[in-house]
Amino acid sequence: MIRRMVYLARLYLFQAWFSYRSLYAWSTPFSYLTSKFGFPFFSMIFFYFIGRFVGIADPAYIIIGNVLLMPSINGIYGISMTVGNERQFGAMSYLLGSPAPRAPLFLGRSLFHVLDGFLTVSVALPIALLVFKMSLAEVNLFLLVFCLLLLSITTTGIGFIMGTISLISRDGWMFTNTFGQLLFILIGVNFPVAQLPAFLQPISSALPLTRGILAARMVLAGVGWTDVGGLLIGEVLIGMVYILIGYVTFHLVERASMNTGSLDSI
Amino acid sequence: MGSFIRLAIRQMDVQFRMRVLSLWSLGLYYIQPAIFSAVGMLLSRAAGNSSPDLVYTVVGAGMMGMWSGLVFTSTYDIRTDRREGTLEIIVGSPTSLRRVEGLRTLLNILAGLSSLVVAVLAAVLIFDYSFANVNIAGTILALLLILLGLWCMGVFLANFLAWSRVSGTVVDLMEMPMAILCGFMFPISVLPGWLQKVSGIFPIRWALEGMRDAMNGTPLAQPLIIKLLISLGLSIAFLLLARWFDGKVHDHIRVTGELHSI
Repeated sequence: MIRRMVYLARLYLFQAWFSYRSLYAWSTPFSYLTSKFGFPFFSMIFFYFIGRFVGIADPAYIIIGNVLLMPSINGIYGISMTVGNERQFGAMSYLLGSPAPRAPLFLGRSLFHVLDGFLTVSVALPIALLVFKMSLAEVNLFLLVFCLLLLSITTTGIGFIMGTISLISRDGWMFTNTFGQLLFILIGVNFPVAQLPAFLQPISSALPLTRGILAARMVLAGVGWTDVGGLLIGEVLIGMVYILIGYVTFHLVERASMNTGSLDSI
Repeated sequence: MGSFIRLAIRQMDVQFRMRVLSLWSLGLYYIQPAIFSAVGMLLSRAAGNSSPDLVYTVVGAGMMGMWSGLVFTSTYDIRTDRREGTLEIIVGSPTSLRRVEGLRTLLNILAGLSSLVVAVLAAVLIFDYSFANVNIAGTILALLLILLGLWCMGVFLANFLAWSRVSGTVVDLMEMPMAILCGFMFPISVLPGWLQKVSGIFPIRWALEGMRDAMNGTPLAQPLIIKLLISLGLSIAFLLLARWFDGKVHDHIRVTGELHSI
């Protein structure tokens, strides 16, 4: 039993480290920094200036929202790449042929992306608060850290789903990219969800990050556990559902590929 | 001349098929601009405006589609050639890389123009945008200068990809800064003064300002003509720079033989 647990833990950590190192497709610190911060940083500035132009009363809302979205770079794009690149790099057949249990293989891909995403938002948020002269005096820091960690974890569910789509479609990256950009609209990053047309609001409620970002904003405004507890529980549940969907679809795709022998050739 | 036309038709035919058959291009030309346009509209709504500024929010998003399309097609073409081993063949062939890349970029820009056309159609059909006050001649002239500016910048940037693989990352990074500096979805006056000065070196910024002025009814008189002339001058400067850089890159890669390994 203990030997089995050690084996699973080792497999999990081994997968986590090697998939992060080799499949996240960055070769130098420069390309790592530009791919992680380039588009998110400049799109945040872009939306900020649009906000100023149209007369948004509090443009800091846009900056904070985009900073809180930063874990999605790892959670969605990073994990999608680490799953999808198996096929592109020609390692898919070996992975599918391996007798190793699938759960640590699959879930291991998220560990370093969660840590990386959490570290990113933990560094970027204080900088944003400093620039906009927002005080942390009234903020429950432990609760804020919990919100940021939760955002870094729940975003991985979408990454798993998008990664699986990348396995079955050569245009997987386009779907990932489109979904990632739709988050600018749907989850309250640039404006409150209440500003969305009525038909989009249920979609927003069904997505991870919506409640987490709102909760983090509320914590930054000084509220405590009792006020954001419901939002955080909702975020945990939605996040788990998405991770489960990702895992199940990966299994289904794997089984289908065994039947048709087509996964590595599409 | 006949051989050039044949080359142009073949190159553009291949490029056109690649663009049409790629979902990635669909995302670049239509989906991403539509998403940015939606963000602009919803921000405008959140600010309490009764309707968004269509010239900035919708037409500006079409402009974004053109620029993003250019960045990720003209430069990625070189990357694809490098990955598939055809870059050496193109560089070694009697037809210069400059000519091949110039033709490819031209088709990429014309494909990107469809993004702007769709944006204008959306403004007219969905948001009832009226051409009643538009200075049509000025708008068309400015649009031609935007296309020229994009082409000159595309040809210039493509050299970086042939020169070094790392520079591709830098070129990727230019997508959003250019959208900010050229004011694709907001007026340049929103930017801090020092950024406005930086943006002055890009021909697209001046032509785009000219097009917006013309769309808002400014006659083809001195202020508008000056903007268009600045755009033309800067485009020519970029083209000359591209030619000079092109020679340098060709010398470098032939002397060092590092085309595939860099």
